Amino acid sequence: MSNMQAQKKDAAGPTAVIPSGRSRVPVDRLITLSALVLLFVIFSITAKNFFTVRNVLTLMLQTSTITLMGIGVTFAIITGGIDLSIGSVVAFTGTIAVIAANAGVPIWASMGIGLLTGVICGLTNGLLITKLKLPPFIATLGMEMIVRGVALTITNANAKPAPDAFGALGNNTIFRSGPRFPGIAYPILIMIAMAFIFHFVLRWMRVGRYTYAVGSNEEAARLSGIHVHRVKIIAYVICGFLAALVGIILASRMVTSQPNSGSGYELNAIAAAVIGGTSLMGGIGTVAGTVIGSFIIGILTVGLTMAGANYFMQQIVIGLVVIGAVAVDQLRSGRK
Amino acid sequence: MKRLLLVLVALALFAGFVSAQEIAVVVKTGNSGFWQNVQTGCFDAQKELKATSPKLSVTFLGPQSESNVNEEINIVESAIDRGVKAIVLAPSDVTALIPSVKKAKDAGIPVIILDSLLGGDANNYNAFLATNNDAAGRACAKEMIDRIKKATGKDTGNIAVMSYVAGVGSEIGRVGGFKDYIAKNSHLTIVTTQYSNADMVTALNQTTNVLAANPDLVGIFGANEPTAIGMGRAIAQAGLVGKIVAIGFDGASALAGFVKDGTLQAICVQSSYNMGYQGVKLAYSIAIQKKPVATKNVDTGFLMVTGDNVNTTAAKNVLY
Repeated sequence: MSNMQAQKKDAAGPTAVIPSGRSRVPVDRLITLSALVLLFVIFSITAKNFFTVRNVLTLMLQTSTITLMGIGVTFAIITGGIDLSIGSVVAFTGTIAVIAANAGVPIWASMGIGLLTGVICGLTNGLLITKLKLPPFIATLGMEMIVRGVALTITNANAKPAPDAFGALGNNTIFRSGPRFPGIAYPILIMIAMAFIFHFVLRWMRVGRYTYAVGSNEEAARLSGIHVHRVKIIAYVICGFLAALVGIILASRMVTSQPNSGSGYELNAIAAAVIGGTSLMGGIGTVAGTVIGSFIIGILTVGLTMAGANYFMQQIVIGLVVIGAVAVDQLRSGRK
Repeated sequence: MKRLLLVLVALALFAGFVSAQEIAVVVKTGNSGFWQNVQTGCFDAQKELKATSPKLSVTFLGPQSESNVNEEINIVESAIDRGVKAIVLAPSDVTALIPSVKKAKDAGIPVIILDSLLGGDANNYNAFLATNNDAAGRACAKEMIDRIKKATGKDTGNIAVMSYVAGVGSEIGRVGGFKDYIAKNSHLTIVTTQYSNADMVTALNQTTNVLAANPDLVGIFGANEPTAIGMGRAIAQAGLVGKIVAIGFDGASALAGFVKDGTLQAICVQSSYNMGYQGVKLAYSIAIQKKPVATKNVDTGFLMVTGDNVNTTAAKNVLY
């Protein structure tokens, strides 16, 4: 631990009072990026129809779920915590949005209500962790069960169809120009926008630097005058917000509310963050890394399905990749 | 003195509790339209039976997801500990629930099995109510072969099977029967079998990928409710409505919608309501009326709903 802190001081530079996060990032990013490119090349060769425009767009659409949730959970993990409730939040917020839409609320407003619900869930997580001092694992585990239970109770576990217009967000595309180019789906654009926005927040805004500070050394951050509680709550609110965004997108793609969905999604999100270089100890992680990590998982999932490998093989491979990524990371940091 | 009072109150409550007649219905998950329809059947039976036995109570429980076998085991064992009069169980795994069912039998609690086969000694349970999943799978296969022949004129081609949870009794029967019939009665090739874990979005994504990898696919089979719904959406999004023979399973309103607009050519609908209704009634007659079991294996039946018969009363009775 003290070794890592010493490295952080070096990385921060002589003028910085607040540590600004690990900046050995470029080399790490190159490793994961090359892994991503390598996988893409392998599957383009071995899987039928993998290397087509249509398929790359499908890949981006399907991976956007993991990417968005991954970005959110990266914030939580950097502060030294974790968020296990995001899978349930996905189900709950999509369900709320559909219920509102079915009740006659305009589509954009129902989606807004869904987002707000996610923010409230994140806020609750943040308050449980800061004010009640619950360990993040426990607090978000409890929330996972509560939120899932509420979602199932209000819908009686039934998937309810949403009005057709609700499906526009998840299914429509821009730049469609006939059968050759099917167009870029809105969720892909949302994913790109959120990646840029939250990269900016984490890297360039003060609250981003404070997030790293809190995760690296909470006591030092507090003594430096950082509002640790506020920073943590913001991290969990971001997490809840992005989970809600995914919930609405999925409900829109299915044009149905599914209170049973999202089970286990949090694990993929955490895996994406970890593969992308986020450390579960806190203080380390980047949005770009998580995006790359999520696409590694996405390419493996899609590529293995298309290559005809069965579902269980995907589990094994993704698990090995998670372990491998963290092992490589540990070895590299050990060498310094 | 206070402690004695507490103990007496607890005993009184316990005695009151035990003297109620509880039939515990434990299903694979609380989370799906199919099992909710089973629940409706159970509670309708309870309503009827309460007229003669006012102390009767039917409880309905299930874990969060169909793959959560351990939780189902816990629910069964807690029912045994409560001293219920009978257990109606839809096992989420063909072998894992055998010890708990045996425990119930040893405790003198009759067990009715629903929907999915339980392995081991058949004497551990008193009756088995299910769709004959093997027959249903074969009927789906026959429907697929006939329709492919009508569409392409041949009985060769590539098809895909979108299944749900590997290893569960109903899947073994259903998908097993489907594959066996295909192998014995046609020259169709099954290029892939995918498992959606009963998650709609996973099925949507898997179907999209399978359709992209196999543009010459002539048929696709979705073996349970959330899988078939995800599969239907994927077919619609890929613009393949009417261009591929798609057969689904179960009778959710979304699936009936797909049949009406031609996304799915047919759905095989189980009589989930019937399973719950007959299950509770049978449990009552064995446990409380002490009647012997007439037939051990009851086939609750299924109906192949297609565009032609989706609006008939017979179809409406099984759709939900």
